[in-house]
Amino acid sequence: MITTGSKYCFGIAGLGSLGALIYMILINPSDVGVLALLGIAIAMSIVGGVTQFTGDFDADTVSDAITVSASAPANSMWPLLLALGGVLLLVGMTTNPIIFLLGIVVIVAAGIEWALQSWAERASEDSAFNRFVRERALTSLELPLLAGGAVAVIAIAFSRIMLAVSPENGAIIFIVVATAVLAVGFLIAVKTNLKKTSITAVCVLGAVALLVSGGIAGQSGNREQLVSAAAEEHYSHKDCEETASKYFDKNSEKTVSMKSGILATIRVKDGKLSAQLIGLDAPVATVTVARSNQATILFRNLDDEEHRLVANLGVKKVGETGVVEKIVDCTQMTGKNQTQALLLKINKPSASSGPYTFTVPGLEGQEIALVVP
Amino acid sequence: MSHEGTLPVSKQNMTIFGGVKSQGRLNRKKTAVMAFGVLFMAGCARDAPQDTWQPKGENASNINTLQWIVFPLAGVVGVAVFALIGFVLWRYRDKGQAIPHQSHGNPAVEITLTIIPALILSVVGVFTFRGIFQLAQTNDTQMVINVTGQQWWWEYDYPAQVVNGVEISQPIITAGQLVIPTDTKVLLRETSRDVIHSYWIPALNGKKDAVPGRINLLRLQAYKPGIYAGQCTEFCGLSHANMRMEAVALEPADFATWVANQQRNAQQPAQASLAQEGEGVFLNQCIRCHQVNGLKKADGTAAIAAPDENVYSGAAPNLTHLMSRNTFAGAAFDLVTSDCRKNIWTASPEQFGAAYLEGVSPKCLNQTNLRRWLRNAPEMKPMYADPTKLASSDGKYRGMPNLNLSESDIDKLVAYLSTLK
Amino acid sequence: MAIIERPTPTAAITLRAPVTPAQSMGIVRRPVTSTGWKSWVFTVDHKKIGIMYGVFAMFFFIVGGVEALLIRLQLATPDGKVLSADLYNQMFTMHATTMIFLFAMPMAAAFANYFLPLQLGARDVAFPRLNALGLWLLVAGGLILNASWFLGGAADGGWFMYSPNSGPVFSPSNGVDFWTLGVQIAGFGSLIGSINLIVTILNMRAPGMTLMKMPVFCWMILVVQFLLVFSLPVITVALVLLTFQRSFGATFFDVAQGADPLLWQHLFWIFGHPEVYVLILPAFGIITEVLPTFSRKPLFGYPFVVFSGASIGLVGFGVWSHHMFATGLGPISVAAFSIATMAIAIPTGVKIFNWTLTMWGGKIWYSTAMKFSIGLIVLFTIGGLSGVTHAVAPSDTQQTDTYYIVAHFHYVLFGGMVFGLFSGFYYWWPKVFGKMLNEKLGGWNFWLMVIGMNMTFGPMHILGLQGQPRRMYVWTEARAGEGLFNFGFWNKIASLGSLILTIGILFFLINIVYTARKGKIAPLDPWDARTLEWITTSPPKEHNFDRIPVVHHLDDFFHRKYQEDATTGELVQIATGEQLVRAEEANADAHIHLPSPSYWPIAIAVGVGTLGFGVVYGVPIMIVGVLMILGSSFGFVLEPSVAQDIDYDPPASGGQDTKELAPLG
Repeated sequence: MITTGSKYCFGIAGLGSLGALIYMILINPSDVGVLALLGIAIAMSIVGGVTQFTGDFDADTVSDAITVSASAPANSMWPLLLALGGVLLLVGMTTNPIIFLLGIVVIVAAGIEWALQSWAERASEDSAFNRFVRERALTSLELPLLAGGAVAVIAIAFSRIMLAVSPENGAIIFIVVATAVLAVGFLIAVKTNLKKTSITAVCVLGAVALLVSGGIAGQSGNREQLVSAAAEEHYSHKDCEETASKYFDKNSEKTVSMKSGILATIRVKDGKLSAQLIGLDAPVATVTVARSNQATILFRNLDDEEHRLVANLGVKKVGETGVVEKIVDCTQMTGKNQTQALLLKINKPSASSGPYTFTVPGLEGQEIALVVP
Repeated sequence: MSHEGTLPVSKQNMTIFGGVKSQGRLNRKKTAVMAFGVLFMAGCARDAPQDTWQPKGENASNINTLQWIVFPLAGVVGVAVFALIGFVLWRYRDKGQAIPHQSHGNPAVEITLTIIPALILSVVGVFTFRGIFQLAQTNDTQMVINVTGQQWWWEYDYPAQVVNGVEISQPIITAGQLVIPTDTKVLLRETSRDVIHSYWIPALNGKKDAVPGRINLLRLQAYKPGIYAGQCTEFCGLSHANMRMEAVALEPADFATWVANQQRNAQQPAQASLAQEGEGVFLNQCIRCHQVNGLKKADGTAAIAAPDENVYSGAAPNLTHLMSRNTFAGAAFDLVTSDCRKNIWTASPEQFGAAYLEGVSPKCLNQTNLRRWLRNAPEMKPMYADPTKLASSDGKYRGMPNLNLSESDIDKLVAYLSTLK
Repeated sequence: MAIIERPTPTAAITLRAPVTPAQSMGIVRRPVTSTGWKSWVFTVDHKKIGIMYGVFAMFFFIVGGVEALLIRLQLATPDGKVLSADLYNQMFTMHATTMIFLFAMPMAAAFANYFLPLQLGARDVAFPRLNALGLWLLVAGGLILNASWFLGGAADGGWFMYSPNSGPVFSPSNGVDFWTLGVQIAGFGSLIGSINLIVTILNMRAPGMTLMKMPVFCWMILVVQFLLVFSLPVITVALVLLTFQRSFGATFFDVAQGADPLLWQHLFWIFGHPEVYVLILPAFGIITEVLPTFSRKPLFGYPFVVFSGASIGLVGFGVWSHHMFATGLGPISVAAFSIATMAIAIPTGVKIFNWTLTMWGGKIWYSTAMKFSIGLIVLFTIGGLSGVTHAVAPSDTQQTDTYYIVAHFHYVLFGGMVFGLFSGFYYWWPKVFGKMLNEKLGGWNFWLMVIGMNMTFGPMHILGLQGQPRRMYVWTEARAGEGLFNFGFWNKIASLGSLILTIGILFFLINIVYTARKGKIAPLDPWDARTLEWITTSPPKEHNFDRIPVVHHLDDFFHRKYQEDATTGELVQIATGEQLVRAEEANADAHIHLPSPSYWPIAIAVGVGTLGFGVVYGVPIMIVGVLMILGSSFGFVLEPSVAQDIDYDPPASGGQDTKELAPLG
């Protein structure tokens, strides 16, 4: 005999498989949604199997032990939501897979809630106890899911806003919002006699403001800087000029974490370039880097002017055009007494495409030879 | 700096041996003697090339000094403890005596027995402290060599520098065998192209790991000319066991000869010889990864190897002077016959330089090993040459693949490689 | 006698008035059978769980031993052909992993689970279902680890799994994935277990048992659990990083992205070094119980032993870099870690002196358990002294990664830990199974193990000092040295020794079978023991003690048997152990409350195992695993601690055959 608990599980498993089938036919047979639905189906079949195997409530015995509650069933919003889910499902099928997924989520959630509620209402003759068991079973599901959803909405909305406004305004908005949140939180904590409705009103207002501005920001897109930076590949293409570059030098770091075990330290002092190898006291004129080897060079600027270290790594021909392009790599602009690391991996020996050097733009006649044997 | 080690090591090794033979009949004392014996026994096989108790250079001698403090000390402590245990076990066996008094200890004894080992250890600690900083000293270095580990061989490059008056004008690049002048403080700057390896020539110094992205320093110095064996000691994957190396110490004059030879480009083989055909095969097959300085393509331009396009770790041994080294493939295989090998390894310090500099003469060439290698390298030394295992390495090999050369190509290649003196 | 308490079922059925039922929230009926396989698989009884830990560990001891034998077979001759390079690398990786994570830790857990509540005078551990969860997670981890043998090859990066060699490029098979996941899951099991045991020790001691009256075994287990609680999270983080690097394209250890591969080593050894003490301290605890019992004397300097154990644990967190002396840390770090490493020798030395002085003035009974304990003292001392030789960092740079180190830690772990565990087997076997292990076979077992162990690992000292590195699938004649006593000789001795060792361990297995069939029924107090686990029957009842003992002394059981004569000062026996046990039975407690078995621990473990496979084989399996974990966690959380009336089968014949309880008031 198939017992109550396993019926429930097998039912969900069936629904899941059906949903997967529909999804495969109507939307995309290789989409992740199919996997999720099939996963639900498989997991529920297993749980159902376990339930069936272990006996579950035996209907005959249960009727002895558990009596139907005398009280009438409570009001329920789950039928309504379930129907809404069905509508979403159908609308989604014809329009947008996201709406379809939303429909599934609503149906699953409403189904679980409904099933558990009606189970809880018949759990005993004591309605207080019945409420207790329902809450014990569901709050541990509802709270984390709702909280997770809320955090996701806040994060998405707020990040849209921050991406849309300019960095300067972003900082101001951030400070204002943070202060407001802190102030409201402080008020709530200190003034314990605040009316619950006013707290709710503030929260709802905040949420609406966040959602609306997030929506507007999302519509208007990222700020122009970000768009152009992404288009022009400023992050992969390094500007190794004498002057600071708007994008490449923007995030110039002040610290370098790995300071031991580096290949060489190159310093600028009084407009002079010098290189030192670890383990040797005397400065050297040539730095040797093994071929195809990941090497770290530290650049330390001791002068007042900002400088950057450039590694000139020969030339390459661009395609078939015959145009010759220099290969360079460089650190970001480095201020006084600051250090930057240059990570190099050079696959071709220096003999193959002319001498390699380290230079600092703006310092004429200063160079350190770079040898790749 | 004296040429001899500071401690007489090799003389005392056989004395303890009698105590160790009968391991079968064990009791506490026996174990004690064994523990003591074991520590000194290492000196027994005096010909083990990687013996850690036979220093042949300054750094290893410093370590050896410490070993000679801590090992005997540990032995003495061990014997004392085992004597005590043995006495207790014999004296207090159940002879039908009454149940002893239930005493719970004696703090005075406890504290004494805590302080004594603490004192012993602080003495050891002082010597250790001194030794660590002594070994870390690099500022009096006389020569620098860059050492790069790669699965499963070592590359050495000698930057341009003047060593003991000998000028290295062009960087020298070699593999497998490290050549250094005697009585010179050589600084190895180690790094790795792929995984962590560890450089270890026991006769000259302890280990130092070669860590990718980092430069680690190791100082070597050899008192006398000779060849000193070593082995990669950090597990580095499939063929870890086959990643060996040797350090060769030469008298300064011999070293100058070696440097002069290494700076030469490879000679063009004679016209219409087998070797010249071999050069063709080499240009066809081997140049993809292996550089031979001075080798020219058919159009007269210099042939530059591009191992980074074929090998995951991005390099392959430079073969310009292959026949000046007497091992190949990560020093795992002999390039010389066993007789010739023996001549080099057992040569007296005076004759060693000449024996080594002779290189691999046609008479000494170990054709069997070389041909087997050319026929199917991964069969001889396990390497990731199986394309099915290369999914995550961008389709590049790790190690030398089987090139499926014909026997005649192998003949030609061997003839060509023999010219690379 | 059944002892699971069950309320009488009549009231709820006959009365129709609204009643508030007990909080029965299990989706399924609880398992309540007390016989058959279900009574083991779903049990939460610490004794059954302890035995299962033991069986699991013993099985993997044999697996790891076979791996070790194959290694020794390969190395018996130069250029060995028994294993390929690939297989050899898998073999030594899995030998270490199996022995550490699937033998040593579970076996210590077996002893801790079984004897901790008994020595503390408790009826079970604090969280019985978590206890079961720990076991089943370990089983899941063990299965995942060893499944790799059949799914494309086991991990081949060494148990230390150094990056970048463990990365996806350098270890392309799935072996390392299985390894990370297996160790991770087994680690979760240990972590859960350790929290459980800490709470048990701190909260569930019998009345009167202050911490300083607690048996040293419990003390050592307490220290070990703290070590685990602080060190396992570190390896968990490291393993998560490695899993993400391998399975999801992260670059935590990718040098090309600016990462430093030494990060892994630091993380690994911050876990790995305390782990050594996790392995050895339970064995110390065991022999600290055995030595006083068979010397008929209390432990010499109880507080010193306790605090030296604790300080070993503490200092053990400050010495991890001595595994990394060759990695180029710089002289200052090396010096600091070198000195710290020497410092840890001091509390270890204290233990050795205390054990020796415990025997001093005693009346030593050379039982097999005692022999193994003495074996531990001697062999561990050798391992400890060789440890001091490489606390000297420069000397260590010659010895690290050679067979000298292999010799050192096998003297510590085999001569130390394994001998301690065997001592525990012989000492406690009558308690657990009610039968005495055969002492004669025990003698053979002991002496063959001593000989085999010294023949196997003794020569490795010499091999290491002669310069044979570890982890090489072949050694070559070219580096073996001339003369008789070269690599070849010592490697052959070691391989021969491993065979003798195997025979020694076979004697133990024979002894188990012999004892099960023909063994002598154990008396209630066979060793004239000193601690509380002997104040109950052998094997103990499901509820351990008929009456919770009240403790007045360290070694309370001994003090109940013997008293000092007021005038002569001599010890006089006032009761036998047997009499004491019978007295307890006569004064049994009423209302003994025990937790009921549960499906959920094993169900969660199955889910975690599925999730593990999913990480290797793809997202759909992961989803299934996550759902299984979620579902079973709900079952776990919602289940009340004691089985409900409804969980039992209906009374067969008018309530005559109900599962009756321990004496009810």
